[in-house]
Amino acid sequence: MAEEIKQVQKQNYKSNVKPIWCAGCGDFGVNAAINKALSDLGLQKSNVMIVSGIGCSSAMPHTFSTYGVHSLHGRLIPVATGVKFANSDLTVIGTGGDGDAYGIGLGHMLHAARRNINITYIVMNNEIYGLTTGQASPTSMQGAKTKSTPHGNLEVPENPIALAISAGATYVARAFSGDPMHMAELVKNGIRHNGFSLIDVFSPCVTFNDLNTYDWFRGRVYKLEQSGHDPKNKIAALEKSLEADTSGWEKVPIGLFYEENRPTYEDLDPVLKLGPLINQPSPSKEQLDKIMEEYL
Amino acid sequence: MLAKISARSGLHVFGYRGYQSIIRGGHVWYQIDISEEKLLSHQEGIDILVALNQDAINNQKSHLRENAVVVYDPTKTNTEILQGRNLRFVKLPMLDIAMKESGNPIMRNVAAIGAVLGLVGIDISIFESAITRMFTKKGEKVVSENIKVGSEGYKNSEVKQMFVIKGDKIHRHVIEGNAALALGAYASGCKLYSAYPMTPASTILHWFAEHEGNGVTYKQVEDEIAAINVTIGAASAGIRAMCGTSGGGFSLMVEGLGLAGMIEAPIVVVLSQRTGPSTGLPTKTEQGDVLFAMHASQGEFPRIVVAPRNIEECFKLSSDAFNLADRYQCPVIILMDLYMSEHSETTDAFNFDSIKIDRGKIAWQANPAERFKRYLYTDDGVSPRSIPGTPGLEFIAGSDEHDEYGDLVSDAFSGIDEYVETRRKMMRKRMNKIETMLKNEDVFHPAITNESAKNFLVTFGSTTGAALEAAQILNSQGMDFGVISFNYLMPLDADKTKKLLEGKSLIDVEVNFTAQLAQIIKSNTGIDIQNRILKYDGEAITAEQIAKEAQKIIQNK
Ligand SMILES: Cc1ncc(C[n+]2csc(CCOP(=O)(O)OP(=O)(O)O)c2C)c(N)n1
Ligand code: SF4
Ligand SMILES: [Mg+2]
Repeated sequence: MAEEIKQVQKQNYKSNVKPIWCAGCGDFGVNAAINKALSDLGLQKSNVMIVSGIGCSSAMPHTFSTYGVHSLHGRLIPVATGVKFANSDLTVIGTGGDGDAYGIGLGHMLHAARRNINITYIVMNNEIYGLTTGQASPTSMQGAKTKSTPHGNLEVPENPIALAISAGATYVARAFSGDPMHMAELVKNGIRHNGFSLIDVFSPCVTFNDLNTYDWFRGRVYKLEQSGHDPKNKIAALEKSLEADTSGWEKVPIGLFYEENRPTYEDLDPVLKLGPLINQPSPSKEQLDKIMEEYL
Repeated sequence: MLAKISARSGLHVFGYRGYQSIIRGGHVWYQIDISEEKLLSHQEGIDILVALNQDAINNQKSHLRENAVVVYDPTKTNTEILQGRNLRFVKLPMLDIAMKESGNPIMRNVAAIGAVLGLVGIDISIFESAITRMFTKKGEKVVSENIKVGSEGYKNSEVKQMFVIKGDKIHRHVIEGNAALALGAYASGCKLYSAYPMTPASTILHWFAEHEGNGVTYKQVEDEIAAINVTIGAASAGIRAMCGTSGGGFSLMVEGLGLAGMIEAPIVVVLSQRTGPSTGLPTKTEQGDVLFAMHASQGEFPRIVVAPRNIEECFKLSSDAFNLADRYQCPVIILMDLYMSEHSETTDAFNFDSIKIDRGKIAWQANPAERFKRYLYTDDGVSPRSIPGTPGLEFIAGSDEHDEYGDLVSDAFSGIDEYVETRRKMMRKRMNKIETMLKNEDVFHPAITNESAKNFLVTFGSTTGAALEAAQILNSQGMDFGVISFNYLMPLDADKTKKLLEGKSLIDVEVNFTAQLAQIIKSNTGIDIQNRILKYDGEAITAEQIAKEAQKIIQNK
């Protein structure tokens, strides 16, 4: 793992803050992939804003020397949306966990997808609540034994890929932390993509999830790029998004499920499309006087 | 329309919608008080009732004053239940007029307006010029139809000039509380308003939707949690932003409020109160969320709570809220209520030139030798912030407790001596802002009228207008009253407030059950106001009601 991570690093966007993750945590791989994507794209640090929620994975922004907000559990999407509204010149990246994205914050994710706001959302899906020491998450397998489901989880896992595609996300991909090079490409293309991108990453929690381990995933994942899948085909994408469920998690596709070019919210909004709000002049005295006249 | 026409003829107007239902079907009425002098609140009793349906007569009959005029449509309503009372009647076939002159039944309102203008002796030419102004955008046909219908109503009002009030010919503006507030924000550099619809805050959203442009936009988001967090994101990225809601939505915003407090994001939040907990009385007013606004969220952090007392303050305090938010990098809550939000009032044009924008401490220059300390320890508690996009001043804002850089001291480090000290210092830094505010801003205390009076009505926000008029009534009856009113509720300058209240005969007046202002006063100054006039039935308190109750209290002393 360590070797693979070193390999993907080029220009350094990292801060001197030491990540707090357990040794072997999948989030290290995600950290490396984001760093590689940023450096491949040659983005200026000061124009990148990384917004996270709360969870182990949400410590991500602190490991970078960009701008960022480490916000509330489940609320990174609205915060990131506000950032993008204010300054569409910034590259806005969301980073958080599965509880954050698909539990407490699911509503926001679906609306962001529908809105097609130009944000890249990287969800570190470890099928568990890591920071709170190992309760079931919305993506925990049925039957999974966790601290909050000692007799086995009764619920079936949520399908974020299918949800995002049907909600209107325009770039939907899945990566595996055990393959950071592949992930870096998906992150890079997600950032490049003009619209809402969801990149769900299998990012094993080595401390609290002994079911969905690196090995467990390695035996199951295969790459969509090598299977002839056409990511422009929405029906095919939806079909692929159901494959993990329908195969009983025997065949689990990773890679790009779906990509579509659709105007973003910023492209359509009559004010935002004129450029970053922060650069637009405020109403002039004449414009204000005219509004005042409405009340005469 | 009637309010605008009256204001154009130089009269003063106070309008208040007394509705039951916002959807079609309920009894809906609009009360307009017209006067030669500035009105500070809505008045009790009706001089002219325009009954567009039978409900209006049935429901309003007890509010009709002696000698009042009832304008009714003989084809739609009958006035039998009013017979035998000392009233005057104007039979006006509003529907027929509307159909004949325009073919549109809704235009019967305009016929009614024409009749009312006749009754109060406002010249028809003012009506015509007002209609022309208002509807020119909609085309000549609309203008001429309105004028025809209105003139017909005017002619048909049978009895002219039953009430004669004369304007001073000054063209006044009539504006609603929420519109004044929105305009205050708009004129002060607020570039984004984000909200989820909820009465009585929804009209702020509508206002921004109508006035989108000039570098200002708005967003209706999926819920109030999103509304406040979008606002925080926008503020963190460097623009002025605001969100607004009523109590139910504010309940959802509570966690976000704490986030703004912790990462020191300058945001403005409008909380327009309605009656009761839960869904309550959604279309009625109350001042019951004061303590909630002051204490919402876990933990402690500086915040400012303001409550506009009149239409001019809806504009001014909304404008000032942004300077305060930027100067002290904390959330500012504008406490409105249905009454303040929805009433309309005559005012002079707002003074846009008087707005001075102060964005507070902002760092622009990076020091290459050092990493930027966004949360630098300062004596006044305010640390220069950087605007994302500025090279060399990158930082991560942490909602966990953090050090000067924004790096977390939670999880891995909490409990270690060094970080215990960091928490203590950072907490003190943030909380020091309160002292700085009190020192630098001369606003955190109440205002007083008739300083040498024997008795004082003590109140805040939207109840101030009625209290001021109540004092006039009481003084005209030979009593000696002044008013002490608060527009800033948090923080409070306890010394100044105490000095003003101490040793005086005080009556607390509030539209809530638990006398929340009295509680605030007691906890800040130790002064316990025992005499209280409290109303919590959903209706705004009137000057007459306050005067009557105050008189009783004084007599029983
Ligand atoms: C409103 C709220 N509820 C609960 C919590 C406690 N909490 C913190 S992180 C977390 C779940 C973390 O799981 P996930 O989002 O999957 O992130 P991970 O730690 O697994 O990376 C919870 C429930 C919180 N911080 N805020
Ligand atoms: S608890 Fe799990 S998710 Fe959290 S840092 Fe450790 S391995 Fe990673
Ligand atoms: Mg998780």
